[in-house]
Amino acid sequence: MPTTIIKRPPPHGGVLVNRVERNAYRAQRMAAGAPRLELRPTLDRRTGLPIRNVYREIVSIAYGFFSPLDGFMTRNEVERVLAERRLLSEWVFPFPIIFDVSEEDLQRLGVREGDRILLTLRGRPLAVLDIEEIWRFDPIDIATRTFGTPEKNPEVVRVPFDHKHPGYNIYASMTGIALAGKVTIINEPRFREPYDRFWYPPEASRREFERRGWRTVIAHQTRNVPHLGHEMLMKSAAFAGDIEPCHGILVNAIIGAKRLGDFTDEAILEGHEAINLYGYISPKRHMVNFTLWDMRYGNPLESLLHGIVRQNLGCTHHMFGRDHAAVGDYYDPYATQILWSRGIPSYGLNEPPHETDYGLRIRPVNMGEFWYCPKCGEIAYSANCAHEKERQRFSGSFIRGLIIEGIEPPPIIFRPEVYQIIVKWWRAFGYPYVNSRYLKTKEEQGEFELGPMEVPGA
Amino acid sequence: MSGRTYKIGVVLDARRYERVRGTPLEQRAVPIFGGALKMVEIEVSEETARRLLQEFPRSRIDARGFIEELPVAFKRRLFELMVELGKADEGAVRAVLERHLGEVKEQAAKEEEYIPPP
Repeated sequence: MPTTIIKRPPPHGGVLVNRVERNAYRAQRMAAGAPRLELRPTLDRRTGLPIRNVYREIVSIAYGFFSPLDGFMTRNEVERVLAERRLLSEWVFPFPIIFDVSEEDLQRLGVREGDRILLTLRGRPLAVLDIEEIWRFDPIDIATRTFGTPEKNPEVVRVPFDHKHPGYNIYASMTGIALAGKVTIINEPRFREPYDRFWYPPEASRREFERRGWRTVIAHQTRNVPHLGHEMLMKSAAFAGDIEPCHGILVNAIIGAKRLGDFTDEAILEGHEAINLYGYISPKRHMVNFTLWDMRYGNPLESLLHGIVRQNLGCTHHMFGRDHAAVGDYYDPYATQILWSRGIPSYGLNEPPHETDYGLRIRPVNMGEFWYCPKCGEIAYSANCAHEKERQRFSGSFIRGLIIEGIEPPPIIFRPEVYQIIVKWWRAFGYPYVNSRYLKTKEEQGEFELGPMEVPGA
Repeated sequence: MSGRTYKIGVVLDARRYERVRGTPLEQRAVPIFGGALKMVEIEVSEETARRLLQEFPRSRIDARGFIEELPVAFKRRLFELMVELGKADEGAVRAVLERHLGEVKEQAAKEEEYIPPP
């Protein structure tokens, strides 16, 4: 008998990937004798600034955020993803996930397919990679085919991608030599403050939902400190559910290399937390966690990854707004909603990702915009408010401009407690947003520490 | 960009509003967000918008068609010129670019490293 009750979906692919070896003895044995490779950031070839560090992908793969992906992709897998946005196992997946190494490192390692390498971060063991394939690629070709072109993807791509696009820049800055294979973490990350209290990888997130009695949970994607437009989006989208509104709202922040001028990761996490700490959305209904990922800003493609991650975290719904995970005007502002309402055939997705075989089970909640309407006297929803002349649209850039000029945004658009979080981290970093110094500091420190680990013969 | 116009918003806090009170600029100040702030909107041509984006690579055009994330030094100098010229138009924007670009860029470079917290 059909039911309207929605249950927590299974992980994407059916089973959560868990490639974390917690037994110290077994972990040591796994790494023993393996040649070491220190993980280094991918640098912007023009500015020299770090734009990605593959350790974030290693952590997200090993803890199951990207399930069913359990390692770095082979050439065939990348080709399948680029052609149809599916893994070789058929499951929908949006991006090539590539572990690239320099020619010098490859020569020094002297490894072949079938070998194992020990991956270290800041000199300490993090993971091992079992090499299934060593393959070469043209970074520009991969970058172009990952995001598409206006000619090949006319449904959503408006402007050719270039190095100003951070995601394109990540792929275009890769070395062109890939090591494919499964990764296993052998030395668990110990997250620093404030990250530690937001660390809920998929298994823990699902347990936490269970503990809280949340059957339905709607995910909110963020790379921003929240303004009232975000807050109203969360509150309104959460009315979706089944026979009652969603029990929980999960804010899942993407933590990783950011663009200059973005809010810092610390302010993003604590800014969202302030929404529940100060009761604007009850902490009984709202929680914040994060995923490590250097965002590709791929709008519809990024939304697909977000759907995968949040389904793996245990969410039943995902809200998508205008310009989802977008930058510049490369994409149609509603490209994500086009994907989730009718599919994007030119990307190989002939149906919406939640209505296709081997697709997602999380449900999209496609939302319009929120703006301040003086005539309505409230933050109004675009489908409700017809006062086109009076409306005042929210703009994150506008709010960032106010803040940096030393003007506290008025409470009607920004919670004072959230502003105080920004000021707190402004004092810590000497700057309210991401700048080159923040990026370098972040690269040196990362989000976590690794304990010392003896590895015989490595 | 194709022959369209863009906007720059100069926000007036209490201190700035006091300086334009009684001048023609006061008439240009429109309340925003329920009167919590006032803002003077300056319309600029595509050519000027393009020049700004080129001179200040971190700036961007937002979904409302406003040029945002211009350096604080630029916004401050623009406000001073608006007061000096008694008008808020593209001429004031171009005056910043023609007369103060070097100084604004120098300050903007420092701004990218450190801005004192409030």
